Parts: sequence; structure tokens; C-alpha cells
Amino acid sequence: MPIGSNTLFQNYFSDFKNYDEVLKSNMSINPNWEKLLSNLTQMGTDNLLAKQNEINWLMDENGVTYNVYNDPKGMQRSWNLNIVPFLIHQKEWETVKKGITQRAELLDLILKDIYGKRELIKNGIIPQEVIFAHRGFLRQCDQIQYKTAKNLLIHSADLARGPDGRMWVVNDRTQAPSGMGYALENRYSLSRVLPNVFQDINVKQPSKFFYEFNQMLIEAAPQNKNNPNIVILTPGPLNETYFEHAYMASFLGYPLVTGNDLVVRNGKLWMKTLKELKQVDVVLRRVDDVFMDPLELREDSYLGVAGLLDVIREQKVAIINPIGSGVLENSGLIPFMNAICNYFLKEDLILPQIASWWCGQEKECDYVLNHLNDLVVKRIDRSNRENIFFCEFLDAKAIETLKKEILATPYKFVAQEKISFSTAPDFIEGALEPRKVMCRTFAIARNDTYSVMPGGLVRVAAERENLFVSNQRGGVSKDFWIVTDDPQTNIQNYSWDSTCRISISDINDLPSNTAENLYWSGRYLGRALVTARYLRMVLNRMNQGQYNNRKSESKSLVFLYQSITNITSTFPGFVGEGSEDILRNPLKEIISLMMDEKRSGSFAQTMSSFNNSYYSLRSLWSKDMWRVFDGIKKLWRKFKEDDDYSIAELIKLLDRIITRLIAFMGLIEESILVNQGLLLYFIGLQTEQATMTVAKCRSLIVFNYEENLQYDILESLLTSHESLNIYRYSYRSHLSLDNVINLILLDKEYGKSLSYQIKRIQKDINRLPHSETTLNFSTCQKYIAEANNKIESLSITSLLQVNDDGTLRENLDEALASLSKLLHKTSLAISDTYFNHSYQQKQLVNQNFPLA
Amino acid sequence: MIYQLSHTTSYNYQSGVTFCHNIATLKPKHMLGQTLVEYNLEISPKPTEISDKLDFFGNTVTRFSIQKYHKKLKVTAHSKIIRDSSLVPDIYDNFDGQRITLNQAVIALKQINPELLDIKQFVLESILIAKITPEIKAYAEVSFKPNRSIFEAAYELMQRIYNEFEFNTKVTNVATPIHDVIKEKKGVCQDFAQIAIACVRSVGLPARYVSGYIETLPPPGKVKLIGTDASHAWFSVYIPNFGWVDFDPTNNQIPKNQHIVVSYGRDYYDVPPLKGVIYSTGKNKMKVAVDIRPAL
Repeated sequence: MPIGSNTLFQNYFSDFKNYDEVLKSNMSINPNWEKLLSNLTQMGTDNLLAKQNEINWLMDENGVTYNVYNDPKGMQRSWNLNIVPFLIHQKEWETVKKGITQRAELLDLILKDIYGKRELIKNGIIPQEVIFAHRGFLRQCDQIQYKTAKNLLIHSADLARGPDGRMWVVNDRTQAPSGMGYALENRYSLSRVLPNVFQDINVKQPSKFFYEFNQMLIEAAPQNKNNPNIVILTPGPLNETYFEHAYMASFLGYPLVTGNDLVVRNGKLWMKTLKELKQVDVVLRRVDDVFMDPLELREDSYLGVAGLLDVIREQKVAIINPIGSGVLENSGLIPFMNAICNYFLKEDLILPQIASWWCGQEKECDYVLNHLNDLVVKRIDRSNRENIFFCEFLDAKAIETLKKEILATPYKFVAQEKISFSTAPDFIEGALEPRKVMCRTFAIARNDTYSVMPGGLVRVAAERENLFVSNQRGGVSKDFWIVTDDPQTNIQNYSWDSTCRISISDINDLPSNTAENLYWSGRYLGRALVTARYLRMVLNRMNQGQYNNRKSESKSLVFLYQSITNITSTFPGFVGEGSEDILRNPLKEIISLMMDEKRSGSFAQTMSSFNNSYYSLRSLWSKDMWRVFDGIKKLWRKFKEDDDYSIAELIKLLDRIITRLIAFMGLIEESILVNQGLLLYFIGLQTEQATMTVAKCRSLIVFNYEENLQYDILESLLTSHESLNIYRYSYRSHLSLDNVINLILLDKEYGKSLSYQIKRIQKDINRLPHSETTLNFSTCQKYIAEANNKIESLSITSLLQVNDDGTLRENLDEALASLSKLLHKTSLAISDTYFNHSYQQKQLVNQNFPLA
Repeated sequence: MIYQLSHTTSYNYQSGVTFCHNIATLKPKHMLGQTLVEYNLEISPKPTEISDKLDFFGNTVTRFSIQKYHKKLKVTAHSKIIRDSSLVPDIYDNFDGQRITLNQAVIALKQINPELLDIKQFVLESILIAKITPEIKAYAEVSFKPNRSIFEAAYELMQRIYNEFEFNTKVTNVATPIHDVIKEKKGVCQDFAQIAIACVRSVGLPARYVSGYIETLPPPGKVKLIGTDASHAWFSVYIPNFGWVDFDPTNNQIPKNQHIVVSYGRDYYDVPPLKGVIYSTGKNKMKVAVDIRPAL
């Protein structure tokens, strides 16, 4: 294919001299890429642009995100996948695979030695300081024995092609490597959106690797080998790769837990579930070493489990990778790796590394200090970008400071040669551009060797001539193909679809943290829906009021404004101090109640609380739900941008949000099984709706109004409750208070009546796991039964009674007040019995050491 | 000397604790010159689980957990110890040890042999003694000079800290960084020990933290009150060709029979007498009482 005439390549050439994956120096094309390029060319630029958009859309829709801390654009960034994959031919890959396997074997041996006999140090193969001065060397983990043949169960390496055309190792990732899930989702998305690009190309599939990955987890169990309980430990939704934790949990079918869900008792690790404690055998962790046990490691960690290390010492649980493996993420080892390889395996390293000098040796240190401008300096135990010094870009003062730092603790520094890694084509604005790439590979322990994922995750530098490749800065990724000449089986559909996967078999085993989030999801959703409908009703009345000057109309509006404050508990608002002013411009207050996220009780705040519990439950939700939810967020954002807060626009926004909330609630019911936790969601939802019904009735119908006003108020109540049609159907009459009370509060058949809701809560609470030892009712059962008896005992005649001065229906008010109290007590009892997070983890002595 | 020793730590929890995991490093060492005749650890309420293990530095750590609700935790270590420092080699009897200079020591430490490996880790930074500043190094270099005996220098360092730092229990706590202590020149035994260690390490020599007790004597004519002794800390410097030599900068002396050693570490962080994670909502109050008296 002539390069010059291909429009895709029009922007590919520049003065930027570099090794390119596709274009050889004589301007011919690397034959391995020919088919891919011709597939891309055939599709045409317009089509490719459309496909790139579709991928972006798919990633967005599927909620594939990468959180960037302190990102002003918001927490969850969409994951970027470029439609042009990166590829390596099978022939070359065989060597790379051997090199990765060798490296994983080697790091495993180093890990065992460091925390075991330390022969490498004793025999002078590696200097003591490289290990002992590395903050990842955890003395608490010394001499721990493991039952698995390999101690390092997952190894991940960042590879890049060096100037000699070979793949070089840049970094090792050994604690809790990320990227496997993203790699899988990349493959899935690309094959879904761009099947054509795979045409006539044989790409190796990772299905076997993931099967083996699962086997590795199962076999790691030190006991209960037949049916081990495996969990995935995440730092939580704020973590940058939380999407992937949830994705893997869903894909593998294991519960996703946080430190708070686990506890150490009787020398074992347990997961807190709704019913009881359930022993955990294997933890696939995404929490870094030092955060794993606040008793023995970092005191300020809330991400781990106190006492965990001793359970590991006693071989009652397996952690993957073992705690302490972070010491291998150590650039100080690089200069000694070949010697170590010869020491253990009697052979040289297969994969080259960047030339490195450890400053703990005098000669090397002198060399480094004399050639600083040509070198890249790193701390041995920090590989994040903030701790890498590209000396050529430093000014004289910064160089002096760095020199002083090196001289103070030379053993903490390593200097590396500047290397220009290869570029590969990236599809950018309709054309291909060369970009630096970095390949993350994954190896897992299998029997006595390692199994390597065919391919992996490829990350691309954000700008054309950028030196750095990192996701933390919001980079782009690529699918990573290993192409072969042999035909491959079809791409399997790795759809992330939680509807067909039941990760938790029984409600008894539901982690209590998940249960709590489900319960609150129900409550927030219920509150959001009731609040939105109520605000919409009031806004509609305001709209009508503009054309209607009836006295009762304006009077009833004032009552409605005041009821908003009561129902949402946003005092003083329309009722407290300063309410005259607020009543003069009611729209302003209503806008604040809708839009002000910082205001407790506002619609915006309810939505944002829901957002939090929703995101913590990531692994349970389906794609459709994500889509609907994301739709709500986009509507909201757009509305804020447009900045038109007229009554009509507010009503339109609420209309749209209400429809989506209802769609969302419908999806929840069909996506999660009752035993998977839907029960908790229902209890939360019904409890909130019942509570809001009581609040509405208390602020609207306990006072005695004159007839016209009464009529307006009743109509408003029924409208906000979406019950006007049902009322008309049931009573075919003028609105009357006794009928409204019968319908909204006492009707036993009507799904929106309080009586029905309370009965439903009672039924659901009875289905929760109850401890066998308590013969009596649990506290929450007791309170909800009391509420049910209360509402069944109410008589309409007594409720309608007005007190002596004719202003108030005292019996009605008293009944509603006591129901409200009982619902509140029920909710508290549920929290106490099932969520048990009321006790916080604390240090006996608050040491607060500066450990950073 | 034979000592009867008790060390009680009690916590009162305002709103009770449902569950706790703890680690105690309280068992005095059994070693040359210090014989541990009796030892028992009394914990109330009775722990659900309890186990002893050696830590990385060879100290005995006791892990225990209490799984029932309690409002008070009381941990008492009782021990009977025979202390005879005359059994330990004395630096004053070792001419070579007394004379070895900083230059000679640094060269001697460059060898690679297994014995030195355990010792050389005490030259490196540790959790509480990190980022040693030029200020600390300058303080050290007043005493430590290339051609001066390191024993002399360490002795002088101890004296300078004793004279120039004010013993004051109000200004520091376990988390006070050494950089604040060197500026304020105030603190307690633990701060002085850590400052000294930072100084010794800044010139490239190994120094370790010693946690233990010191017997205090009542004023003449007064009866000794129970519980007035304290847990104590000092530092130890490694002198090549001789071994570790202890220095107590709080009392300006080389520890002998009045000092009882519990544990060695890089700094306080490695050897806190009692630490733990509790599950509770309220505040807690701690009380410590140490009593050392000659056994009858």
C-alpha cells in the first residue's frame, strides 16, 4: 500500500524522529500491520469517525470510567478507547511471553527470599539498602509462610519498545495491578462496534486466561478448597479504578466488599452479611499493602481489616497478591536483576531493561551526579510521576536541590538513561498520528509456572510528543492484539451483564454494607420521586395562578408553599423567620429547593445522596440502569448550563426527571433478585414513601379550611400523589375529605395508600433473615407491627372530628404523628440490626504518625 | 539486683467498646546480664484470643482480642528480673572499642557479612526518624568528627542532650516529630532518645531505640510510692569490633543495673508498649502505672 497517497497518513510524518511500530525508516510498512491498515482504509475516514464516536458513546453508556482525583471536570471520567488497536505478531509475542514468565518467576523468588532467608543480600547479590530502605519492605510480613507454590500470584509489567526494536520492561506492578478489566472491556467494545476491523486477522482471545485466573483464585484458598468463599476488596467508589473492581466482581461473580464489610474474629477473616458472619478464604485485593491492616500497618487506614496480618500468618486466609509484595515495585532492583537472574536461574534476562544506576554505590553515584542532565532520576520506592525527575527539564536550582537530596540518602535514588520509546498510530480527528505507547501485561501463577494474558492493556500518551504515558492524567487506551497466522475461535461476548449473574446466592449472605446501600438507594429514590412530584404540582398551580385571581387560589398557594417546607424539612423556608419575604418571591425558594445541592432536604441533595449509594452498588446494576441514570445526570447538567429557571422550564425538567426515575425504578425491580438484596431496596423505598405520605397529610389535611380552599388543597394532594384519576374512578364524586382519607390513608387494596404501604413493609421485613436465637419478634418487626395495628384501628369518623374551636382535626394529627414516629423507629431498628456500622474503628492510642 | 516489676495500662471508655484487637510489647528481654525469672501478662476482661510471637527485631509481642462489650481495659505485665550488668562486656575494659574513630567505623561497616546486616539496618531512616535535616546533622557533628573516637563522641552527645534539652512532659507526645524537638529543645526520654538516634545515623553509624524501665529512688527518708516509676527509653550505638553500647541522655549515664530492657527497635514506632484498634464511638481515658522495686 503506498503510504503517501493514503489520506489517513497525511498527518503522520513530522520532524519527531522516533521508532514507529508501523512505518519503517525506509517508509515501508511493517507487514504485520498491513491487513489492519487496509481494513481501516477500506472503512473510510467518515466511517471511522462515526465508529470512534460510537465507541466513545458506548464507553460512556456502559459507565466505563476512570476516576481522577481532584479532577475539576468531576469524579468519573469516561474511559477512552482509540479505535486503532495496537498489535504484535505471535512470533515476537512468544519471546515477550517467555520474558514475562521469566520475570514473574524471578520476582516470585525474590519475594520469597526477601521475606525469608535473604540470601540475595547475604551473598551480596543485592545491597541491603535496596530492600531495607524501601518503604514497601514490611517487617511485619517477615517469615510469613504461604501454602501456594508461588507467592507472587499476579504480576503485571509495563513494556515499551526500545530503540533496538525489542520490547523493554519499564515497570513492575506487584501489589494490586489494575488494567485487566479495562483490557477485557476494550476487547468487548471494539469487537462490538468494529467487527470489520478484525476482518481476515487472527487475534488471540483471552478467554482461557480468565478461566485460569478464576482457577488461580479458587486454588489459592488455604482451606475449604471445595467451596472457597472469595471476595474482591476495593478501597471504594472514590478509587480511580473502581469501575474495574466492580467490573471484575461482576465478571467473576464474587462479592465486592470494602474493609468495613470484613472483620477478624477467632483467628479467621469474616464477611459481615445480613444474617451472620461468613468465613472468607480468598481476598483478591485492590487495596495497597500498607492499608491492609490498621493494627499492624498504617494506623490511619480505614480500607483494610484490623488483625488481618495474623490471620495470614496462621494460614487461614489467602490475600492476592500477598501483603508486602509492594517491595518488588522497586527501581533499585533493576541494576541487579540480571545478576539475580543468573543467581537463581543460571541464565540472563530475556527482556531488556532501561540502563539504571543505583546511587547507593559510590562509583555509580558519582557517575549519576556528573551526568545528571542526561538522566531520569527516581526514588526506589516511588514510581508516580511527581517523583520522577526528568533532569534535562530542570533548572539549575532544582538540579542543586536534587543533588543535595541524593547525597543525603543516596541509597534511595536510582538514575536511568533517557529512552525514547516507539510510537504507534492513533486515530485523531480523522487521521492517524504517531503516539507513544506503553503495554501493560498480566501474568498469573498456574501450577509451577505463569500463564500470560495474550495481549493486555495499551495506554497512549495524551499529546503527540509527550514523554509520559499515564491514565492518572486522563490518557487514552487501545485494544492490544496478538495476531497469528492460525485461525482463532470467535470472539466471545464478554458482555458485562449483571442480570444473568447472581453473585450472591442468598439474602443471608448479602454483605451488610451492600444491604445498607440498597436500603438507602430505596429511601433516596422514594424521596426524590415524591419531592419531584410535589414540587411539580406546586409549580403547575403557580402557573395556573398567573391567569386566575381567585382569592382561594392564592390562599391555597400559600398553604402549598408552606407545606413544601414541612414535607422537605427545609426550615425556616416558607414558615419560619423571614417567611414574609420568601413568600413574596416563592419561585426563588423553590429553585433553591430544587437545585441547591448543599441544602439539606433539597431535591438536588437527595439526588446526590442517591448517586453515592448507587455508585457503591456498581456491581449490581445493569447497563440499562446506568444509561437511564446517566440520562438524568445529563438532563440536570444541561438545565444548569442553559440557566433558564422559568416556571415552565422547571416543570419541563421535573416531567423528564420523573419519567426517568420511574423507568429507573422499574429497571431495578427487573435487574436484581429479591434474594440478591432487592428486598432491602423495597423496604427502603416503601418506608420513605410511607413517611412522605404521612408528612403530606399532616401538612395539608389536619387543618380545617373553608370549602373552596379545602377543595383546592385536596386536589393538590391527590395530584401530587398521582391519585386524582383513581379517586375519580373510585368515587365518581366531588372531592371530599373523608373519601380522600379513605383512599390515601386507609384503603387496603390501593398500592399508594399508607395502609397498603405499611402492610407491604411489614411483609418484607418478615422476610429478612432473623436470628434463630430470638424467639420473639425482632425490634423492627415489633415497630412495624405496631404501625400496622395502629392504622388498622383507625376509624374515619374519629379522624374527621374537628376540635372545639373548629381549626384542627386532632385525632387525625395524633394518628399521623404516631405513625410517623413508628416508621422512624422501624428504620432505626433496621439499621441497628442489619447494618451494624454504628461502631467506628479507632486507634487505642492516637499516634497520627507522619507516614507519607 | 533482683527486681519485681509491674506495668499497668488502663483505659476507661466513655461509651464502651464492642470489640478490640491489641498488640502489647511488654515482655522484658531475657539476655546476657538480664534474666527474666517470672513473667505474666494479666488482661481484664479476659481476651478471647491471645498469642505470643517474636517480631522482626526479636522482641516478644503479644496479640490479643476481646470480643465482648467492655467499658474498661486493664493490662498488667508482672515480671521478676535479675539484673547483673557485670556479666556484659564493658566498653571501659575494651581499649580498641573506645578508640575507634568515625572514619574507621564507617569503613568497618562497609563489609558484607551476615552479622553486620542486622546491624546496618539501623543506619537507615525509619518511620519516626526520617528526612534527617542539616540542622540535626550539624548538631551531631559538633561531637562526631572523622578522627575522633565514636564512643567519646556518643558520650558527649548524650551529655549535650542532657544539658541542653529541658525535660518537660507537657510539650510533646508520641507523635511529635524530631524536627520540632530539635527546635524546641524540650521533651521526654523518648524524644531525647530519638534525637540522639537521628544524630548518630546522620553521620552514618547504626543507632537503635531501647524501650524499658528505670528504677527511681525515693528522696532520702521517704517511702517509695507504688506506681511512680515510668516506662523509659534510651539509645544504643553500635561500635565496630565491640558491639552495642547504651546511653541514657535523660539521666546522663550509661545504663547499668537500674535499667531494664524490654525491646529494641529503629524508633518508638517499632515498639510501642501497647497499641490497638477498638470499635467504639466515645472518647477514652488512659492511665499508666509502673512499679519497680527490689524483690524481697
